[in-house]
Amino acid sequence: MSGQHDDPPLSELDLRVRALESLLVEKGLVDPAALDLLIDTYETKVGPKNGAKVVAKAWCDPAYRTRLLADAGAAIAELGFTGRQGEDMVVLENTDEVHNMVVCTLCSCYPWPVLGLPPVWYKSAPYRARAVSDPRGVLAEFGVALPADREIRVWDSTAEVRYLVLPQRPAGSEDLSEADLAELVTRDSMIGVGLPLNPGKTAADAS
Amino acid sequence: MPLLRADQVEAVLSRGHSTRVALDIPPRFRSGQAVLTKNINPQGHTRLPRYARGRKGLVLRDHGVFVFPDSSAAGTGDCPQHLYAVRFSAAELWGPEGEPGQYVIVDLFEDYLLPVGAGATSAK
Amino acid sequence: MNGGHDLGGMHGLGPIEIEADEPLFHAPWERRVFALTLAMGARGEWNIDMSRHARENRDPVDYLSSSYYEIWLKGLEVLLQERGLVTPEEIAARMAALATDREAAV
Repeated sequence: MSGQHDDPPLSELDLRVRALESLLVEKGLVDPAALDLLIDTYETKVGPKNGAKVVAKAWCDPAYRTRLLADAGAAIAELGFTGRQGEDMVVLENTDEVHNMVVCTLCSCYPWPVLGLPPVWYKSAPYRARAVSDPRGVLAEFGVALPADREIRVWDSTAEVRYLVLPQRPAGSEDLSEADLAELVTRDSMIGVGLPLNPGKTAADAS
Repeated sequence: MPLLRADQVEAVLSRGHSTRVALDIPPRFRSGQAVLTKNINPQGHTRLPRYARGRKGLVLRDHGVFVFPDSSAAGTGDCPQHLYAVRFSAAELWGPEGEPGQYVIVDLFEDYLLPVGAGATSAK
Repeated sequence: MNGGHDLGGMHGLGPIEIEADEPLFHAPWERRVFALTLAMGARGEWNIDMSRHARENRDPVDYLSSSYYEIWLKGLEVLLQERGLVTPEEIAARMAALATDREAAV
């Protein structure tokens, strides 16, 4: 039968969430305007560009780098990035000897103020299971092959400390401005499953 | 408890909610010390993963004093205690399948840890 | 608890599925679940450890076959029910009412 079908039937989950929200609003337990603002904050204001600024500043400013490694929370707060799921930060420095990778095997703990909300793969079973038992295999899935003699440290965020990887500055980036350097810092490089881009490449070129 | 209003959102998010506790409790363990994780299997909430139970590790860092999740989740109190970053070799965790030059560092509460005797071999 | 969430070292879970240009939320309901969870959590009726336990305390089959935000939803429903704030019966009744309204509007 033809007719207006502007509103297709809602999925079970969609209906359930609408029901829950309407009940919570009715009971005076949540403010709808607050809900919209919470969403907007993480959709538009908080994301990996924050962490990229921290990394780029550490690459350019040796004194900042020292402060960042000594007291990450205070140094990150200098740039205005603070808050929920980033109250207690530690920065992990990648070197020619050591590569760091971060996971939360038990749930999805992630440093929101500097990286935003985590991607689905970070929260999903395959990464959570294998990051701790097969880090080289995981890196290979992300297209990263490290030298055989590189030490790999995988940090399982089992408590409220949140980790940010400080990747190595790419070769050939000496003449770039801090803003241009920030463009090279990918989210994945700050989790430790990727490396920063090389100068001259854009995110679109990265495989 | 009042609802979260829109005008409070920014402050609440940027303040966050650290579970660090400002209590000067003496730590039981120190950086560089060998420890053995307990083999506990509580029905309730714990943040000691199964793969890291009954394993020998090395304390890398004392993060300070935090709320203990196991008691906090059960509603039995904050039970504040030191939290340590403890390093395990891949061989210690996974046996022959663990590769050399690979380590897993797990953030573990003092209640999850036991001292290792002076005569015990350190983690491989 | 020795639940399905304690995944370190597990085998057989397959490759890491990486979505290019992944959106922050994959459906409007995920957005709402995220916001509802944070808003209710800010009231202080439960702490983060209780909310984690509410998510992980289920049949491992349920945990492993649910999407991330489905687990958040299930955990939130448990926390609300435990405190008598919202019951499963209220949710079911509201769902039926909303579905009826939508059918009537077509």
